[in-house]
Amino acid sequence: MDGSFAIVEETIDVGALVSEAQRPDCGAVSTFVGTTRIDESGGASVEYLEYEAYRPMADRKLQEIGAEIAERWDARHASIVHRIGRVAPGEASVAIVVASPRRGPAFEASRYAIERIKEVVPIWKREVWSDGYVWVGSQVGTRS
Amino acid sequence: MKPGIIKVLLFGAAADRAGTREAEVSAEATTLDEFWPLLEERHPGLSPMRDTLAFAVNGEYARGGDRVSPGDEVAVLPPVSGG
Repeated sequence: MDGSFAIVEETIDVGALVSEAQRPDCGAVSTFVGTTRIDESGGASVEYLEYEAYRPMADRKLQEIGAEIAERWDARHASIVHRIGRVAPGEASVAIVVASPRRGPAFEASRYAIERIKEVVPIWKREVWSDGYVWVGSQVGTRS
Repeated sequence: MKPGIIKVLLFGAAADRAGTREAEVSAEATTLDEFWPLLEERHPGLSPMRDTLAFAVNGEYARGGDRVSPGDEVAVLPPVSGG
């Protein structure tokens, strides 16, 4: 299986990742894009999200997820790119692209990848609201 | 064994609670469970988070009974929230 696993600080070029995944021995390219969602509560709203990672552990964990995909499914290509730093509303924070000869494994492997990211990859996000911030998952921050 | 420096990295909410992203703790070779009180003593703000935290030693997840020695890097990891 080929592919790439990366943590980046710039905009994720999803189109380029999909192009790289297309190959004549595969009939399916499954793409999952996680985007920053704006929540509102009590008259305040999220202005942006900020991600941080423990590197190089996080890089290695993305590669391990790739290895797990290669073990479990007939995937010929897999790319996982996670963005860190400040991400504006609606932009991609993570992109997962899996190519397989048939659609089933491509769908399953991309779903697996995002669930594993949320379990084991040391990346954290902070919601920066108009009235303070909150670390997602810890509920620690400056919002009252 | 003589005490030496164990480097501690803190992330996300743990860095907030500790008021720092990095610390150096002098300790002898020990286990993570026994290392924790040394860290807590210096950064009491971490105490309420204890049950939610995971740890890594030298870049790999580690459990309470795992060894920590001078020269190692211990990372304090709140619940991850990537994606």
